[in-house]
Amino acid sequence: MKVVTANRLLDGEVVFWKAGQWVERFADAELFADAEPGEAAVAVGKSQPTVIVEPYLIDVTESGSGLAPVSYRERIRALGPTNEPTHGKQAEGGEAIEALQHASGAARSSGRLDLIRRK
Amino acid sequence: MYLYDALDKEFLADRSAEFRGQVARRLAGELSEDQFKPLRLMNGLYLQLHAYMLRVAIPYGSLNVVQARRLADIARRYDKGYGHFTTRQNIQFNWIKLADAPDILDQLAEVDLHAIQTSGNCIRNVTADPYAGATAEEVDDPRVWSEVIRQWSTLHPEFSFLPRKFKIAITAAPRDRTAARVHDIGLVARRDRDGTLGFEVIVGGGQGRTPYVGPTIKEHLPAGRLLSYLQAVLRVYNRYGRRDNIYKARIKILVAALGAEEFARQVEEEWGKIDAARADLPDTELARIRGAFATTPFETLPATSAIFEANKAADPAFARFVRNNVKPHKKSGYAIVEVSLKAIGHTPGDATADQLEVAADLAERYSLNDLRVTHAQNLVLPHVKLDDLPVVHAALQKAGLATANIDLASDIIACPGLDYCALANARAIPVAQHIAQKFADADHAEKVGELKIKISGCINACGHHHVAHIGVLGVDKKGEEFYQLSLGGSGAEDASIAQILGPALPADKVAEAVDTLVDKYLSVREGDERFLDTFRRVGMAPFKEAVYADAH
Repeated sequence: MKVVTANRLLDGEVVFWKAGQWVERFADAELFADAEPGEAAVAVGKSQPTVIVEPYLIDVTESGSGLAPVSYRERIRALGPTNEPTHGKQAEGGEAIEALQHASGAARSSGRLDLIRRK
Repeated sequence: MYLYDALDKEFLADRSAEFRGQVARRLAGELSEDQFKPLRLMNGLYLQLHAYMLRVAIPYGSLNVVQARRLADIARRYDKGYGHFTTRQNIQFNWIKLADAPDILDQLAEVDLHAIQTSGNCIRNVTADPYAGATAEEVDDPRVWSEVIRQWSTLHPEFSFLPRKFKIAITAAPRDRTAARVHDIGLVARRDRDGTLGFEVIVGGGQGRTPYVGPTIKEHLPAGRLLSYLQAVLRVYNRYGRRDNIYKARIKILVAALGAEEFARQVEEEWGKIDAARADLPDTELARIRGAFATTPFETLPATSAIFEANKAADPAFARFVRNNVKPHKKSGYAIVEVSLKAIGHTPGDATADQLEVAADLAERYSLNDLRVTHAQNLVLPHVKLDDLPVVHAALQKAGLATANIDLASDIIACPGLDYCALANARAIPVAQHIAQKFADADHAEKVGELKIKISGCINACGHHHVAHIGVLGVDKKGEEFYQLSLGGSGAEDASIAQILGPALPADKVAEAVDTLVDKYLSVREGDERFLDTFRRVGMAPFKEAVYADAH
C-alpha cells in the first residue's frame, strides 16, 4: 500500500494526500492499494506548486498496531523528531501516534534517492 | 567586536527586502521551486523533514549581547524555543515557516546579523578560534582577518557560483580550535623570526565521503597579501574544480588530483598575474578593522583571586567546573569560560531561548559584552574575572549550563541527523545521548580524560566523525539504522583521519561499544596518555578485538 506525501510550501509542514486535499495527520492519509491512482495524485500535487513542494509516494504497511510507513525516515516525518517528543505531530498523542512510534522497518522512502541534489 | 557602519546596514536591509520580494513571488506562483530554491539557499533557508530550517551566520563565532538576545527572541517567536549551534559556529532554527522568513531576516538585520552565504556554492561563513582576543597563545587576533575575508567574500561576484561550497577557518594559536586542517582553506597565523606576521596556508582538507587532511601549500604568506593569494587559490579552483560530479566538486579533489606541489605552482602562477595594489587590502582599511577589535576594556587585576581560590576549595562542583571548563586568559585576573551545551541526556548544541538569555546576561555583566560559539557546539564567555567565576558558575548551574565536561567523553559533537535533516541516513542525537549517559558519572569521565566523540548521520560528515578520537557514522544497512565506528582521528593541530574499526553496529550496541573501547584504553593507558595517544601507540588491533570479541 502507498500514501502520497509532500511538504506544505507556506510552512514546510509534512502533509498527506486525502481525496484531493492535503492533510497533516498520517492517520488521515488516503491509502492506495495500486500504484496508478497514487501516481495520479502525485501528478495533481505537482500541478499545485503554490500549495506543496515535491510530492512523492511512500510505502506503508500493517505494523501490528496499525498502519505505518515502512521506512523510519517517513515515520519520523509523520511523527516529529525523536529527541523532542513534544515537538511536531507526535505532540497530540493518541493511538495512531503510538502505533507509528512502535512500528519498525526499513530506512529510506521509496523514490527518494540522490538526496544531496534535492535538498 | 566589529560594528556595522551605515553602508553595511543599508546593504543588509536591501538584501532582506530583496528576499521578501522573492518569497512573495514564490508564494504567488511567479517563481517555481526550482527557480526559488537557489535563492532561498543563498539566504540560509533549507527545507528539511518537518519544516524550513534557517541557518544564521555567526561570523567567526562571535556575538554581542544584543545579538544573542535577538537570537533568543527568534527562537521563542518563530521556533519552538530552541536554537541549535553547529560545527561551523552558526545557529540553526529548525521550525521556521517560509512566510515568516523575511520578517526574521529583517529582525536579524536590525542587530547586524544575517543568513547570507550560509548555504550554496559560495564562500561560507568564516570560522575562527573562539578564544580569539582572549588567549595568550595567539600571535594576532584572528577575528581581524576573518572580518577582512568576510567583507571580501560577501556576494563576491566571481566566487558566488563555485563548483561547490567553500569553507575557510582561521586560527592564530598553535592549539587549533577551528579544525583548520580539514577545511577547504585553513589559515594558521604565525610570526617569523623578525616578527613579521604571515599565514601558513592549508588547502584541500575536508571531510564528507573523501576525507583529507589538507596539505600546506604556502608556509608563510605575508599577511598583507592574504586577499590576492586567496583570490588566486579560488581562481584555480573555480577554473579547474569539477562541475560534472557533485561528489568530486570540492577543492580537496582537485588538490589531490593535481598533487599539492602542482596545485601550489598553479596558484603561484595565478597570483603573479594579479594586481596586488587592487586585490590586497589597503593598510588603512586593515587598521580600521583592527581598531574595532582592539578596544576590549580590560582592567588591571592581580593574577590571583582570594574569592576564586576560597570557592574552589569549598565547593567541589565549582572546582570540577574550573578543572574542565575554565581556561587561562592572556590578561591577569581573567579567565576564559566554556559553557557546555552538552548536558547529559540533552541534544548536543541545543540552547533554549531562556539559556541564550542567561548566557547573554552573563556576557553583559561579566564578559565585556562578548559571547562566542565553538565548533564543538558549545558557548564561551571569553573575558570573565577570576573574582566573578563563582557567581557566573552559580548562574550557569541554575540554567542547566554548568556541565563540567569540555573535551570529555560526554562533550559529543552530533549533527541533527535524521531527526531533522533531509539528507541523513540515520539519527545522530539519540546515539549521542546514549553514549553521554555512559559518562554521566563525572569522576569516571574525568578519569577517562580528553575524549572527542563525534557523530554524523550521513557521509556528508557535518558531525566531524572523520576527525574524532571515536567517530560514529550512521549508515543505512538493509533498511536499518547502523553505525560505523572509527578511531584515531583529530581535527586539531595534530590532525588525522580516523580509521574504520570494523563492521557497523546496530543502534543499541553503539554506546556499549564505546564503553568497551574506553575500558580497553584504560587498561593499556600509560601515564596520562589521552585516548588518542594510546590509540596511536598501540594501534587498532586491541580495540578491534575488544569490540568484536563476541563475534569470533
